[in-house]
Amino acid sequence: MFKTLTIARRELMGLFYSPVAYVVLVVYLLFVGLLFALLVFAPGAVADPGPMFEWNHLALMFVVPFITMALFSEEYRSGRIETLRTSPISDFAIVLGKFLGALAFYCVIIGSSLVYVLILSAFGRPDFMPVLTSYFGLLLLGMLMVSVGLFFSACTQHQVLAAISSCAVLVTFGILLQAIGGLLGSIISQPPAWLGTAQRVMTYMSFEPQMQHFSMGLVDTSHVAYFVTGTFFFLMLTYLVLESRKWR
Amino acid sequence: MSSNADIVVRNLTKVYGRFVAVDNISFEVPRGSIVGFLGPNGAGKTTTIRMLTCFLPPTSGAASVAGFDVFSQSMDVRSRVGYLPENAPTYTEMRVQEYLAYRGRLRGIDRSTLKTRVESVAEKCWLGDRLRWPIGTLSKGYRQRLGIADALLNNPQVLILDEPTVGLDPTQIRETRKMLADLAGQHTVLLSTHILSEVELTCQRVIIIGRGKILAQGTPEELKQESARRNSSGAKLVVEVRGPTQQVKMALGAMPAVENVEVLSDGPICTLSLTGKLDGALRELIASTVVGRGWALREMRTTGTSLEEFFVQITDPGTALNQAA
Repeated sequence: MFKTLTIARRELMGLFYSPVAYVVLVVYLLFVGLLFALLVFAPGAVADPGPMFEWNHLALMFVVPFITMALFSEEYRSGRIETLRTSPISDFAIVLGKFLGALAFYCVIIGSSLVYVLILSAFGRPDFMPVLTSYFGLLLLGMLMVSVGLFFSACTQHQVLAAISSCAVLVTFGILLQAIGGLLGSIISQPPAWLGTAQRVMTYMSFEPQMQHFSMGLVDTSHVAYFVTGTFFFLMLTYLVLESRKWR
Repeated sequence: MSSNADIVVRNLTKVYGRFVAVDNISFEVPRGSIVGFLGPNGAGKTTTIRMLTCFLPPTSGAASVAGFDVFSQSMDVRSRVGYLPENAPTYTEMRVQEYLAYRGRLRGIDRSTLKTRVESVAEKCWLGDRLRWPIGTLSKGYRQRLGIADALLNNPQVLILDEPTVGLDPTQIRETRKMLADLAGQHTVLLSTHILSEVELTCQRVIIIGRGKILAQGTPEELKQESARRNSSGAKLVVEVRGPTQQVKMALGAMPAVENVEVLSDGPICTLSLTGKLDGALRELIASTVVGRGWALREMRTTGTSLEEFFVQITDPGTALNQAA
């Protein structure tokens, strides 16, 4: 565990040294600021930061791939993977360390949006419990997003390819699934039973309905299970990819 | 498996698809010795080293390092090996001290001794004045030293260095050699290189590998003798004399030990190349004959027996010698 934290610390530090991370931070803050200004911060409105958190994933699905793209790709490209994997540390500890490092940076990024909550509380009295559950939801979402990014980074030595692939997957879960589900429902007047099931599955897999619940202050175990199992699934895939590279 | 060998390799093979990178090689590295692992580019040196450091699993065969199997006891091997990969990759944004401390923690060095360990290896590798420098600003030579310092951090029983002097300037190469000589005895060192002079100066034993196979192994002296023995027809004595070419040629050709004389250059100073039984007695006879005739003997040297020529002969796919090996 100590070695895992050593790797996590180094990854976090490495992210703070890279200019990409700061660009990403600014982009995220601008986007959340926009949501805040358009949906939340209005004279006479209810002091509810919910909508700001509900749509956060739209920015995060483009932001997280930039945090995770270099995690393994850069190690492969520079040859450092050799120093890392010949050190007395297990592959899973390496995967977990990199995951935790990137997740810590993700937390810094979403933590920066607290500034808008503070602004809101200066002008009104928002309910802090939904804010807390929103951040809990964002943390779960981040775990899944980072593990997806980590997986694609472990697949290739090209950072850009890793970023684009993970973006594609995250956009699928963030927008596409729900959009397709909605589209199918609207064009077929009397959908057969299987289509209804497919639609429900697609909606369940999408980020938006899940984040909506968290932003309303609801912590549903099915949503927690979704993010936790998804994260575990992609971490295991990453581990397997790393293992399989040995045998090529 | 002999008990005093730190690296034991038995019938090790690595196949990538259809390409056989390492083909059934076996060798041993005795404890406390420096062994040079020599071969042209693409001979299979790095692949072998990667198998010994547990980075790649072998296709077949076995290897043990520091008494542990590289495949089934990988963690034990890794914690006892200091490894410098080719080009010594590091995190360029980190500072030297920071990087060494990070590597030390990964290798499980105790927190209380980490600082002194980092300082001591940095001192050993002449990095003491660069501890606070970002690695990105260091020259290639310093980065290479940092890689060696990293390999030495946990005071490993076995050191495996892949091309440690690549990219260094002559002074640094000499310093590195000196450092390696200091390390022998305390550590078992396997040194991969394609620079022959390095091997001749630093290594007690040499293993020559080419196209995945071991072509020769022994001390540098043994290999030179082997070269002379196996290539007796190829060994030549080159004599440079101030005197009339034809008379010199006749005089030398008349000696019973000389089989053939070839004139390499004509003129007031002539150079001749002799083949035959080229021993010390012949050289003395040549010297006394030349001086006795009133000519001047300017130079006498044997060619075809240096480690370099042996290496070229043995690794060149076309030579008959290589086919015999």
